[in-house]
Amino acid sequence: MYDNRLSFRTRNRLGLAAAAMGLMVSVSACSASATSSSSTSSTTLVIGVSLSLTGDFADPGKAVQRGYQVWADGVNAKGGILGRKVEMKIVDDLSSPNQVVTNYQNLISRDHVDLVFGPFSSLLTVPASQVANRYHYAFVESAGGGPKVFAQNLHSLFFVQPAPVVEQGNVFADYILSLPAGQRPKTAAYPSLDDPFAKPIADGVQKRFEAAGIKTVYSGTYPAETPDLTPIMAKIAAAKPDVIVSGTQSQDAYQQVKSLVQLHFNPRWLFMSNGANSPTEFPDKVGKGNTAGVFSAGDWFADSKAAGSADFVKAYIAKFGGTAAGIDNSSAEAYAAGQVIELIAKRTGRVDNQTIINSLHSGTWPTLLGDLSWNSVGAPQGSYQLVQWIGGALKPVFPASVAQAAAVVPKPNWAG
Amino acid sequence: MHALIQGLILGVLTGGVYALMASGQTLIFGIMKVVNLAQGAFVIASAYLAFTLFTRFGIDPFLAVLITTPLMFCIGAAGQWLFLRPLRRENAAELSLLVTFALALLIEGILSVTYSTTYRSINTGYANKSFEVAGYTVSAVRLYGFLLSIALLGLLYGVLQKTRFGRAIRATVQNPQSAALLGVDATRVQAYGFGLGISTAAASGSIFGLLYPFQSGSHYDLISRLLSVVVLGGLGSIGGAVLAGIAIGVVSSVAAVLWSPTWSEMSFFVVLLLVLLVRPQGMFGRVERGAV
Repeated sequence: MYDNRLSFRTRNRLGLAAAAMGLMVSVSACSASATSSSSTSSTTLVIGVSLSLTGDFADPGKAVQRGYQVWADGVNAKGGILGRKVEMKIVDDLSSPNQVVTNYQNLISRDHVDLVFGPFSSLLTVPASQVANRYHYAFVESAGGGPKVFAQNLHSLFFVQPAPVVEQGNVFADYILSLPAGQRPKTAAYPSLDDPFAKPIADGVQKRFEAAGIKTVYSGTYPAETPDLTPIMAKIAAAKPDVIVSGTQSQDAYQQVKSLVQLHFNPRWLFMSNGANSPTEFPDKVGKGNTAGVFSAGDWFADSKAAGSADFVKAYIAKFGGTAAGIDNSSAEAYAAGQVIELIAKRTGRVDNQTIINSLHSGTWPTLLGDLSWNSVGAPQGSYQLVQWIGGALKPVFPASVAQAAAVVPKPNWAG
Repeated sequence: MHALIQGLILGVLTGGVYALMASGQTLIFGIMKVVNLAQGAFVIASAYLAFTLFTRFGIDPFLAVLITTPLMFCIGAAGQWLFLRPLRRENAAELSLLVTFALALLIEGILSVTYSTTYRSINTGYANKSFEVAGYTVSAVRLYGFLLSIALLGLLYGVLQKTRFGRAIRATVQNPQSAALLGVDATRVQAYGFGLGISTAAASGSIFGLLYPFQSGSHYDLISRLLSVVVLGGLGSIGGAVLAGIAIGVVSSVAAVLWSPTWSEMSFFVVLLLVLLVRPQGMFGRVERGAV
């Protein structure tokens, strides 16, 4: 889920360092090291995947790797898939769109892996999925949900998350519009980061709110370079909106909250598309007391009751230690990609690429992210969960099918 | 109107911090004719130092200035000795751009390895506190930061005006040859002057870390603003840097309130462009000679 949240500014800034690193490793680029070697045989099911184990996306890339490892260990402990032991062949793409192409070409045409999973980020998923499509491989991926991924119109791609990332705000709009007319907000403000994974989320909510008669008192976009959001939040505070819908990534979300706290402005509802859905970073950055009542959206949480979630958490902690709250969503999403393959084998008795492509274009597929289904270009057809910070923890509050607590409204005052 | 006045207050308070950061930058230019592209990186390094002192030892970022300022002075003086002194001959001004940029990248690299590229912020107990004054909100951190900046700028002014070292710096800025003839050791003045300029980064780094999230690459945005402030104020003019720093704070803040955050950055550069068209040497810059 965090794949798309890396702002373009961050990429640009780190681009120089990445370029230097790319230069250093270019000699060995054509044979990027594999973290596990394998040889294809009928007794093993080899799944090739290129991940960002170094470079800009190294942290989330490693989180995805952990998810795949937990899934492979789990499925092998149960006897593998259709009697075949699962072997993950993971190679490092250095967070480079060029290297990821080389990696998938090597995995498919040289190593002859049975299946492939996707890399981390939309930036890498687009070129990687084209390679896989050229070789008629199914491209099940858990970390590339940006508009450009689906704009390719690939029939072989499947994004393993509940919905395209830019639809994250829909669940908040659904929740607000489900309230009786008298309890809905009358006015709204929409501050957004100028980012393809932030602004469209707030825009989508604004469109639906305006259609429902909720008056817009502020709508503005700030560039990623904006050093200080306080003037913007001061303008919003002066307009006193009932609800603030923020198209945020991470740092700007924390800054918005800090500014609102300092300005002593507390809206009845505050929804932040990203940043506020981080179980560890958000309270750390804004102060635990200031999280109370903030809404966000997410696809998986440690206490989720969805299929396989408890097993995943248990296996993850057994393998990597830590706590359930510290598990990165990207690990859970990667695990879900494995669950999908496991289910296909169970339902069809086959585990080849054509069967995967044919199967996933129909029906629903229960995973720890909920029941997933896809349209013809691999965009998931579900929705995210609306979560709210209640009692110092993120709790799903909408839709009712996943809710673990009632939404707290109005938002409690800032702790300061 | 309320939002506008609130924006003005924010702008003045933020501008004071920019003024402190830019004063070091402009001082270095005045003494050495070096455009120090590493000033932003030193500010970020200082923010990390304050972060470490606060998270590891519980030292308040404002008190940490007492530790970081002399430390940055020494680092600055050593940096000048190691990297800039060898350039003092022909093409020194042009080469210093490359050297200070390399220095910025070196600092960024060290910070990335030491702290990773994760954003950090210094969250003290008073980080989110604010005061109500006549219906307007004044952030405690911004106010303290502004007051500290003004105090340090006053101290810097005092050092330059009232001490023998300050007179040596001013003499070197105004006429290096005459200063040397009168016995001023230009090499030493340049090293100490560079150290003094870098030491202003210590306090501004503490304040920056309290106000904004930062990571090792944050210096790129910062240096572009600092250069703008210095050019607007007049290269080498500390007074000009102070006024330009406050100007950038106010213009950015008011533009964000009145129009759009997108225009906030642009508006400042429009002002910069207009000033340079009318007065190419900046508001307080002197043609050819330094100012201070």
